[in-house]
Amino acid sequence: MTHDEIAERLEAFIRTQYSISADDPGFTQDVDLFDLGYVDSIGLVELLAFISTSFEVEIEDDDLLSDEFSNIDGMAKIVCRQAEW
Amino acid sequence: MRASRTIGELDASFAWNGRSIYRAEELAAGTPIPFDLRGAITSYACTSTGEWRVLRDPLGLNKLFWVRESSGTVHFSARPHRLVAEGFDFDDIRSVPRGCVLDHRQGEQGARKASILPARWQSAESSTDAPSIVEIGTEIRSSLDGYLAAIAAVHPTARAFVCCSGGLDSSGIVALVAKHFADVVAVSFDLDRAGGGVSQDRRMAERLCNDLGLPLLDVTVSPEQLLGHLDTVLVEGIDWRDFNVHAGLVNAVLAEAIADAHAGQAIVFTGDLANEFLADYHEESYLGESYYRLPQLPLNELRASLVQGLDTSNREIGVFAARGLPVVQPYAVAVDSYLRLPSSFLGLRDAKQRLCRSIFGELVPGVIYDRPKVRAQIGDTNADGGVLATCIDRGLNQDRLRERFAQLHGVSDPRELNRFMRAGRYRSAVPTPEEGLL
Repeated sequence: MTHDEIAERLEAFIRTQYSISADDPGFTQDVDLFDLGYVDSIGLVELLAFISTSFEVEIEDDDLLSDEFSNIDGMAKIVCRQAEW
Repeated sequence: MRASRTIGELDASFAWNGRSIYRAEELAAGTPIPFDLRGAITSYACTSTGEWRVLRDPLGLNKLFWVRESSGTVHFSARPHRLVAEGFDFDDIRSVPRGCVLDHRQGEQGARKASILPARWQSAESSTDAPSIVEIGTEIRSSLDGYLAAIAAVHPTARAFVCCSGGLDSSGIVALVAKHFADVVAVSFDLDRAGGGVSQDRRMAERLCNDLGLPLLDVTVSPEQLLGHLDTVLVEGIDWRDFNVHAGLVNAVLAEAIADAHAGQAIVFTGDLANEFLADYHEESYLGESYYRLPQLPLNELRASLVQGLDTSNREIGVFAARGLPVVQPYAVAVDSYLRLPSSFLGLRDAKQRLCRSIFGELVPGVIYDRPKVRAQIGDTNADGGVLATCIDRGLNQDRLRERFAQLHGVSDPRELNRFMRAGRYRSAVPTPEEGLL
């Protein structure tokens, strides 16, 4: 699975799970999901479960708290690095 | 580490090896890695010969943070605010990972890193050995009895204060502590209520103490008195999330009352953790809004997440420690048994009642088993009179708690907190001698 495919699946999950409008101009794959309130602490637990189930990747603490894990693009890069498929 | 020091006291240790409470020398640098350790501990110990060990319990109940200054010196502390008070930037603070054992031995370069966190705890997979509930209940009871007996052997004259909400988990602990300690006082929280009534929690606590022949320290405070503890809860509880802050406020009130009531050696026992091990939490509603939202996950995954989340928040140990009171959370030593419970059992409406009956039997009065579950910080099946309502009515919502936590830790932008704690995990790393972080 490519970075872009992972990012698309993450974006679709986040949009659906957190009811983000398709025409929300502020929501992109580069935006900080936590700082802008798209995903909260509880939502992140759900997102981690989605990543685990969909990509068979467990996010390590170092990555979880990194700046890179703050947006969809960075999350996709981390998943790509850790994935064994 | 070129040099290191601790800032402030570490929290009390009640680490158990299945037979006795660990003595400090049994966990010193150079001793075998304690893979069987259960209960709460953080330890940072140096010997005169330059050996040292850093240790944190596998559930992450006791907290340990650190920061490295430019000279290479590493400073440890059980609370981030103590490091901030020493002039360190909040953004540089890291948590020692739960279950981490870091050993530096004489003559060796670097440090050996080990984890005593059982891999099976991190899995959401249910047990495949299909144990019976009676079998697991018996195991849990055995662990609780063994642990309490071991603590009583080390602290035979301590007065045991047991936080009693009148719910099943705390009532069971009250009954068991009364078996092992000679001097036991139950403690019950309530808020002043219009009309002078008392909460269902209070009535149940009174009923339990009557049945068990125990004294009850009933602590009733006004909303203003409750909220007077907010800053203490935020800095000692190391958390801004409402569900933990609200529980911490209750604990702060109880801690103050216990400290005022008894000047001698005291140990506080609580009935928490069983809810995490059983994934037995629910959202609350107040004025049409939902609070204490839970991740929408299958029960086995929710349980794994809640257990993982114990690594964050210090709402029990930290808040009581602020009054000089050591805390024991007995259910911690039974975690392995709880995690053997299949997810199919967790989903049963009466799961907790069934399990508790197999743990406590008739030690707990029948009326407690029959009682609907109530959050300790709510106190009633109706949320209107509890801590949640008190906070919301005064504008202390989630955003305000977060802002205040940031202020108290010298963080100018609350968004920085997103990089300190996420998904029930603190920003963590392991301090190592010279080569930087592992």
